[in-house]
Amino acid sequence: MKLEDATRYTEKCFNGEPASCSYACPFHLDIRSFLEKVSRGRWVPAYKVLRNAVIFPGIVSVLCDEPCREHCQRTLLGDEALAMLDLEAACIKYAKNTKPEFFAIPPKSERVAVIGAGVSGLACALNLAQKKYSVTVFEKESGWGGKLPNGERLSSHPRFADFDQDIALQFSAVDVEFRYGTEIKSLTELADFDAIYIATGKGGDSFGLLASWDAEMFTTSEPKVFMGGTLCGVSKMEGIAHSVQASKIMEAFLQTGKASLVNAQVYDKKNCERYLKHDGAVSVPRVIASSPDGYTEEEAKKEAARCLLCDCDYCIASCEMLQKFRKKPHKIAVEVATDMQVTGNLASRALTRQTYSCNLCGHCKSVCPEDVDIGALLQSSRTARKNAGGESYPAAFHDFWLREMDFAVSEGFLAATPNGKNECEYAFFPGCQLGAFNPDYVLKSYEFLSSKYDCGILLNCCGAPAYWAGDESLLNENMEKIKQAWNEMGQPTLVFACATCESIFNMFLPEIKRVSLYALLAEEEGISSIRPYDEAVVFDPCNARNNHGLETGVRKLATEAGISLHELKEPNRCCGYGGHIRLANSSLYEEIAQHRAEASDKPYIVYCVNCQDVFARRGKECSHILDLVFDLKKGLKVPTLDQKRANSVEVKKILMKKECGIDFEPETHEWDGLKLLISDEMQKDMENKLISAADLKEAIWQAESSGYKFYNESEGLFMCSMIKPVITYWVQYKEIAPQTYEIVSVYCHRIHFKEEVKQP
Amino acid sequence: MSTGEKNWKCAKCDKQLVLKNTDFFYLGHKFTYDVLNCPQCGKVLIPKELAEGRMAELEEALEDK
Repeated sequence: MKLEDATRYTEKCFNGEPASCSYACPFHLDIRSFLEKVSRGRWVPAYKVLRNAVIFPGIVSVLCDEPCREHCQRTLLGDEALAMLDLEAACIKYAKNTKPEFFAIPPKSERVAVIGAGVSGLACALNLAQKKYSVTVFEKESGWGGKLPNGERLSSHPRFADFDQDIALQFSAVDVEFRYGTEIKSLTELADFDAIYIATGKGGDSFGLLASWDAEMFTTSEPKVFMGGTLCGVSKMEGIAHSVQASKIMEAFLQTGKASLVNAQVYDKKNCERYLKHDGAVSVPRVIASSPDGYTEEEAKKEAARCLLCDCDYCIASCEMLQKFRKKPHKIAVEVATDMQVTGNLASRALTRQTYSCNLCGHCKSVCPEDVDIGALLQSSRTARKNAGGESYPAAFHDFWLREMDFAVSEGFLAATPNGKNECEYAFFPGCQLGAFNPDYVLKSYEFLSSKYDCGILLNCCGAPAYWAGDESLLNENMEKIKQAWNEMGQPTLVFACATCESIFNMFLPEIKRVSLYALLAEEEGISSIRPYDEAVVFDPCNARNNHGLETGVRKLATEAGISLHELKEPNRCCGYGGHIRLANSSLYEEIAQHRAEASDKPYIVYCVNCQDVFARRGKECSHILDLVFDLKKGLKVPTLDQKRANSVEVKKILMKKECGIDFEPETHEWDGLKLLISDEMQKDMENKLISAADLKEAIWQAESSGYKFYNESEGLFMCSMIKPVITYWVQYKEIAPQTYEIVSVYCHRIHFKEEVKQP
Repeated sequence: MSTGEKNWKCAKCDKQLVLKNTDFFYLGHKFTYDVLNCPQCGKVLIPKELAEGRMAELEEALEDK
């Protein structure tokens, strides 16, 4: 993946960018950083931030008309904007060391002339003098300062003594020649200078160059002559800011002979509009100074602390995964791109764990003011990794679910129209896990649908495991198979019971008309039959986000059952199951699942069996909405992997018999007849490791039939391995009776080893 | 090697297992480690402690990239 392809996902993210106030500031002062320092009484660092941006803090803190305040996001809460001028004045007052920095750079031979000793000309002169250019300022009046916006001399301002002191302070660390009482009448007088900056103030002499002035580059038709300040029609503050920018462009000109922005910082002012939501921020009134001399230190700190430090981190603040990896969206995008540029065995991939730790639940996008979708970025990373192939693809993260999918799309597959018809108007697509969890969820739902609609059945996997594994070809292959079956059934409207299936179809088979089972059930008045709880919370699955028909249907069914419903503060959070992160990051999976289980102390009504599985395993009281409708509540017991497989087979068997009149004969294996004794504790261990009893039977049968096994005579134990393409399984067992084994220990690993087995 | 591991014999060859330098592979990386092999048929034994200990740590380290 190219860098631009990855960064496109996060280009709208403005995390780390200057806040709206800084964009509005003519100097682009980092107000957030300045106020954060003031709020902590760090006066000298705050002063440095201020001084470096505005050049003359003593003047700016009096004369600036504070455009920042219009863009202060505190005003969104109804509060007054931060009192910037008062805070700048306090900072100047309380900073103990305001001495300008001295730069130990060798003097340069290039000479620069500045025409006009107003604040614009002074700012340009000062910046270039700091870079050790030889700077001469020509001023027709007898001193520095220039004019006020009203045309009066700056020296007439009541605070001029402070301004004078500020200018003197800033120039105290540089050598600049000031020639007062010297009016330049023609630029030919300055022919010896390498660059000239004209800053003669509002209505001043532009030497006939104003018409050729370039507002971005500050250049004129004369190659070495630059121009800026109020002469060019901007405000005094903008004039200072212009001069800072112009000095950087002039520096590039002096270095290379060409004016360029190479040393300058360019801001896109449109970004002023990027405001945050500030949910939960508390209104705080402006601090009023107790003395006419301005804020005390404590008052200034308190006022500065009102700053909301506007920087968007909504996604990070609300996602366990993003918090765990502590990377900003832009950095993740760069790492996704870098990850795909790794070649050969000497270098490692840049990003594996995080790519496969994302629930792909869409929550980051839902909280982002700019709809940045980090899940989509990481999904594209998964696809790129799979397409790249090779040994560095972490197949073990998704192997279990891909094998489950393999069963669902082959042995578990069934496409049948009702009553021997060729076509049907509807077909129920329950998804692979609904019947696996409880066969009646599918059978009762289908019974209802058959009684009301011309409805067939389509048992298959939607392809989510392939999608989450980044396996496009497997996903497409399955989509083709579904599409073919759907066409053969007369293109029925598919009835979904699983929000994930529905979202996968929405993405990859949008031409298929879809409806939610729960929306159809909700059309029946009084269909909900049992009320397991007086009060409950509906736990909306992540993939039901924006699927309002689904969400409304489930609420209607639960309310009709007589349950008083409550809403979660954050709906559509992933239960942990999404993206199949469990094997890639088990601790994160556990953390997320626990957080969701604790999101409310009330029981949950769920309508995704994966959510149900996650919560029931943790003992969180929950019921599937179909438990309410069809009275199927059986407590919180979760079927084992083997029971799930058997349930799926049973569903297919019953429905195949019903609609096709055929007795389904599931695939049989030589090891099916083995009997295993598995303790409850061992069963739990196996479930955690996602190892089924069928896996163990296969391993033991292979060992017993080939003789390749290990024997521990003193304990009467056998041990064998079963090496599969992705995972290697080990089982220790005792033979209790012929073909009957007690399982003692089970484990697996992802690392492969080289084994050259010879016939003894 | 823990004492328990010494008690395993290859049931096929009836031989005591011996430590042998064995090649391991994961995510494009290759490394070697001494593990129990049958000296006759070459069948490898990975004890639980190794699989869920050092091997799991190594898997995690390589996946963390």
